[in-house]
Amino acid sequence: MKSGNIYMDNCITTPPAPEVLVEMKTYLTDGFWFPASFISTGESTAEAVASFKQTVADSLNASPDELHFTSGGTLANNISIKGVTLSRAVRGRHVICSVVDYPDLLTNAAFLEKIGFDVSYLEPDAQGWVSPQQLKDAIRDDTVLFMTTIVNHVVGTIQPMREYRDVLRAAGHKIHFHADACQAYGKLPLDVKELDVDTLSVSAHKIHGPQGVGALYVKRGTKLEQVIHGVKRIDGLQPGGIGIALMAGFAKAVELTFADLEGGIRHLRGLSDYLLEQLEARIPEIELNGPRGEGRACHNINVSIAYIEGEAVTMMLDLNGITVATGSACASQGLKPSYVLLAMGKNHVQSHGSIKFTLSRYNTREEVDFVVEKLAEITAELRSRSPLYKSTHPEER
Amino acid sequence: MQYSQKVLDHFMRPHNVGQMENPDAVATEGSPSCGDQVTIYLKINPDTLVIEDASFLSYGCASNIATASIITDLIKGKTLEEAKKVTWRDAMEALDGLPPVKVHCSVLAADTVQTAISNYEIAHGLKEVPDFGKETIIEELKKIIYPQVGEDIVSLKMVKYVGFDDGNVLIDMNMMSFDQWRENVAQEIREHLEKYPAVKNIQINFP
Repeated sequence: MKSGNIYMDNCITTPPAPEVLVEMKTYLTDGFWFPASFISTGESTAEAVASFKQTVADSLNASPDELHFTSGGTLANNISIKGVTLSRAVRGRHVICSVVDYPDLLTNAAFLEKIGFDVSYLEPDAQGWVSPQQLKDAIRDDTVLFMTTIVNHVVGTIQPMREYRDVLRAAGHKIHFHADACQAYGKLPLDVKELDVDTLSVSAHKIHGPQGVGALYVKRGTKLEQVIHGVKRIDGLQPGGIGIALMAGFAKAVELTFADLEGGIRHLRGLSDYLLEQLEARIPEIELNGPRGEGRACHNINVSIAYIEGEAVTMMLDLNGITVATGSACASQGLKPSYVLLAMGKNHVQSHGSIKFTLSRYNTREEVDFVVEKLAEITAELRSRSPLYKSTHPEER
Repeated sequence: MQYSQKVLDHFMRPHNVGQMENPDAVATEGSPSCGDQVTIYLKINPDTLVIEDASFLSYGCASNIATASIITDLIKGKTLEEAKKVTWRDAMEALDGLPPVKVHCSVLAADTVQTAISNYEIAHGLKEVPDFGKETIIEELKKIIYPQVGEDIVSLKMVKYVGFDDGNVLIDMNMMSFDQWRENVAQEIREHLEKYPAVKNIQINFP
């Protein structure tokens, strides 16, 4: 049977597309100059950067002047969240987010609390979905920001963005709407005008672009306080250099992903449906975490396997050349179970035995077959060692 | 730090795994609600008090399974007195080390062996049920590993004061407010002490 490397942890980072590497090389050698210069080298780079910006802006239905390159999604989130709260602190100091948001948002929320802001944390339901009604109830006269993670990074739940938009529009005053779209980008159509967000962050390395570059959409007329200070090279919001080759690679990755976005989504949806179907057919006592079907991002399948521990599973898969993720406390650097699964009402055992597969366009059905076959073997082996399994299945001694 | 080859070998092909028919001593430690769980089975010769066979089941990670595998190897053929001296440090050494953050997963298997031996000794009148007191608390605290460095919190002098009065445990800890492991350590202390019927209340103070 096939062995080698099967990568199914694409929500952390994706392998760069070969075309991206080719594109980047040009800008690491000939076109390395920064654009802020009137001599010919600077001019040609300025034109190139403008075209990269156009490409990324188009993918979100934004204008190029609303698009700011950053050194990744985390930078984009920080520039937006800190920038908007600082610029509006005189008007109000209340912020809303949810307990299942991406750590970028939650650590920023903790920082805001530390400097005197009040944060309301919305709770998810059992599928990881945060209801618009809760948002409505949490809004106060001094609310200045609502931030959300469009696609949950653990279970792939797609938050109800249009309903949030309507709630915010109906509020008596302007509330800044920030969306972390890093997991959503390239997995569902995103139109900033239709979503009516004020800021939105994306990252290149989640869509087969290079690591270390992202972008922040900022709706025209939105005031963000400057949070990073320094010399302007590429962009006013993030001063200092941002690699030209990284932006070139990002634009190429966007081109590849958005040339046929619907086709890409269809491929991923088909593959993850097949993965789930095979898992449920081959492994008894397995349970899906998060919603089934359209409410879930097309690339994410997260299951809990009863009676066994996730770190042991990922180690054994790793020794078979397969990379996946787990929510087990034993596998996390902080020795803590997944806060997302716990917030959804799952217990420690379910988090302990959770395995997350996140697929990309490079994964195939053959890979899915191989992974499921190996996982079925590993599950049987680890269950044969497990006191929990033995005590609940005495007939299988 | 990665797992050693020895850990991987014992994890992938563990020795002594499985439930034992008619064991002379059994112990289960840990709980699935908070982490790993291990069961140890021992076959003990009543005349020589030699451990003639040992096996285990584990609901745990690679570190936990590998430790259970090697520690059952280490105690087989030893007398109870000899086996009582086998600690998680011996198991860790025999495994060519463990990443610091994974040491706490390994301690559970070693503890369970000691509990199984103690259960046997009590059942066969070889020792009295020990009174619960300050000493018991300190012994339990020695089993709690500070994940950052992979050493126990007593050796690291993180425990400033231990008191026990009428079911109330009072522990003063020496851990900085910014220490990311405070919550983990406090939870582990509770898990270790709550299993004793003599303990009614646990108060853990941080500076």
